[in-house]
Amino acid sequence: MAQVKANPKTYDVVIVGSGAGGGVAAHVLSLAGAKICMLEAGDWFDCTKDTKMFEWPYNVPHRGAGTREKSWGYFDATTVGGWQVPGEPYTNAPGSDWIWWRARMLGGRTNHYGRISLRMGPYDFKPYSRDGKGFDWPITYDDLAPYYDKAEGLIGVFGSHEGLENTPDGVFQPPPAPRGYERLIKAASDKLKIPCIPSRLAILTQPLNGRPACHYCAQCGRSCGVNANFNSPGVHIKPAMKTGNLEVRTGAMVREVLVGSDGLATGVAYVDKKTRKEVEVRGKIVVLAASCCETARIMLNSKSTRFPNGVANSTGLVGKYVMDTVGSAVSGFLPILQDLPPQNEDGVGGMHLYMPWWLYKEQKAGKMPFARGYHIELGGGRAIPGSGALGGYATRWLGGGYGVELKQNLRKLYGCEVHFSGRGEMIPNEDSYCEIDPNVVDQWGIPVLRFHFKWSQDEILQAKHMQETFKEILETMGGVVTDSYGGEDNWGIKRGGEIIHEVGATKMGDDPKTSVLNQYCQAWDVKNLFITDAAPFVSNADKNPTLTISALGWRTSEYIADQVKKMNVKV
Amino acid sequence: MSESKEPKDQTAGVSRRNLFHILGSAVPAAAVAVGAAGSLEAQHEHGGGSSESKSANQPFQRRVFDDHQWKTVQVLCDLIIPADESGPSASGAKVPEFIDDWIAFRTEQDGNQNFRGEMLGGLMWLDRESNKASGKDFVDAGEAAQKQLLDRIAYPKKTAKDDHPGMAFFSQFRSLTVSGYFSSKPGVAALPYLGNRAVAEWKGCDPKVWAIIEDRMKNGYKGILEAKPWVAS
Repeated sequence: MAQVKANPKTYDVVIVGSGAGGGVAAHVLSLAGAKICMLEAGDWFDCTKDTKMFEWPYNVPHRGAGTREKSWGYFDATTVGGWQVPGEPYTNAPGSDWIWWRARMLGGRTNHYGRISLRMGPYDFKPYSRDGKGFDWPITYDDLAPYYDKAEGLIGVFGSHEGLENTPDGVFQPPPAPRGYERLIKAASDKLKIPCIPSRLAILTQPLNGRPACHYCAQCGRSCGVNANFNSPGVHIKPAMKTGNLEVRTGAMVREVLVGSDGLATGVAYVDKKTRKEVEVRGKIVVLAASCCETARIMLNSKSTRFPNGVANSTGLVGKYVMDTVGSAVSGFLPILQDLPPQNEDGVGGMHLYMPWWLYKEQKAGKMPFARGYHIELGGGRAIPGSGALGGYATRWLGGGYGVELKQNLRKLYGCEVHFSGRGEMIPNEDSYCEIDPNVVDQWGIPVLRFHFKWSQDEILQAKHMQETFKEILETMGGVVTDSYGGEDNWGIKRGGEIIHEVGATKMGDDPKTSVLNQYCQAWDVKNLFITDAAPFVSNADKNPTLTISALGWRTSEYIADQVKKMNVKV
Repeated sequence: MSESKEPKDQTAGVSRRNLFHILGSAVPAAAVAVGAAGSLEAQHEHGGGSSESKSANQPFQRRVFDDHQWKTVQVLCDLIIPADESGPSASGAKVPEFIDDWIAFRTEQDGNQNFRGEMLGGLMWLDRESNKASGKDFVDAGEAAQKQLLDRIAYPKKTAKDDHPGMAFFSQFRSLTVSGYFSSKPGVAALPYLGNRAVAEWKGCDPKVWAIIEDRMKNGYKGILEAKPWVAS
């Protein structure tokens, strides 16, 4: 191809993606001395320069309201990306309704995410053994525990030591004290025997490695100007660049993994978005961490005579068993919180308390109508007033009205709203996968993904349990349910992809016939190809994926460094 | 969870001055005005204030309302949120400007005129009903007549069937006025919302506030006002 710009340099490692998975690989491998080229499809992003921290909604367009281009509003740290990326479509097969959040920026979705950092527990690695559904991981909790320690030690996670079933404690900084409405919810949860404990978020409450502690402005989602929360550019990439071993290329939209005649990866080909030219970068080892589905897309598009169905896809399993998290929410209003003396309820950018899954014993005893569990996330209080603040309160709570009385009553109702969100485990199924759409390419000429997705009864009944539980908690506090869902709405279960926890697509395993990767996230078919995002996940426990991406990616990266030392991988 | 796990002094290693220094140097000048005193408190006072100039530099220009509608909107907004000891009226908080901008924004985002039509049509409904009652447009009818008309449409449960179009308009207009007011700078102060600032040490719920909540818990989880759940039919 005449348009291909060949680069004579061969890196030790080429990493595709700069989020949690690419970041941790760059961090570990650059410190181990590897010369790395990292490719990011979006632009450079530096939260210490580009943050919207402390900005007031009244000083920004439309009070920060969401737009077609920025569905989460002006303040969302995702500078380019969202449910739709201009010029980079995806499609759904008939009957599927998947949505796919992508972040085209350095650090990927670590800029946007909720910083919830939960370890998977011992049961979560062997779900098939426990209830006969899905698959077991090829590793145990004990295999990953040391890497959870390392990941938490680097990114900084607060939490408390509780010793709860299948809810492993970690290396924690002290948790922030709860807000008023959170203490109230805890009191109600105690009554109902639902554990309510300090949350576990990747936000510093003590200084760490030159990063200051949180200053409690509650706006992690805007990106933190001082790196007091975990984000890949500030925590992984900057220190990695300081070693002199990491080169980052932005605007690099990876098309495919290149493979030599010996079946080993030789590097990747990408489209330079500025010049629209295809560029090849050579590497002795290729690490894919483009995000679960994007990684599958690159692999499926990497067709060669050696791998006619896509690189490392001799099993045909690449793209299969895509999972998201089960989400369902209830909002309520708590009269008990009316007209309290004002206080600052900002805190960290997320909940200070949460409820881990608590019905393991009932489930084991066969008393539950669904498999697997969920945790409960909290929101509410005297949050920063932006677009829509108190908008519907007059009709909803006061029977209407106008004038001074309305104004004074509205002020008394501020801070009475609470929100419960369930985040539960989806079991992998045959009907949920992604493949290449044979008819559509993106603006870079790269074939796009077509999604197939279905919830099973296990997930829908879990959403039902969420709805019923959240109402019960609200009613225990004398609260009124404002938004909830019934059976006609499938219990408010969110759309596939909506929780932005997609995992799976290149499952790891013990057997090359039934898995794409071995237990070190190394492709069975191509021994110098590794994956460090959530694509290797075998199941999707209710424990949000990012911390496990970090731990698993760390383990994979150490394995790569070790194998290179032993010359087992080096070409 | 035990309360004993509350963090101790989290600022060890990063003094308040240092924290301020870090914040001040890291955040764009537009986002945080750096207090000359160099203290965290100075920053609280000025936090975000400097970027106000951004909107001040761009003089407001109406994109939706004509002169007559504009006068009507001013009056209507201030009937919904008048000035009191907590803060200025809605027009004093530039809520009419917010509503004009919001309707234009929604029209552009929705790709249709539906919302704009409901708002402008609602204003015409007010004038028509006002003329029927007093022979004057709403804006000229005087406060007593204006309130008489609002009383017909401001309480959904009590609204006569013939007035439902006016009620639907007013409910939407009131929501816009309320959210526009309480998300404005004076509205934030009126609530008051006390955050969006750097806090050196997070202490959790104020014990005095928690004592009130605990007291109410013992009293059957009741607040001072009775909640009035009401769902539009």
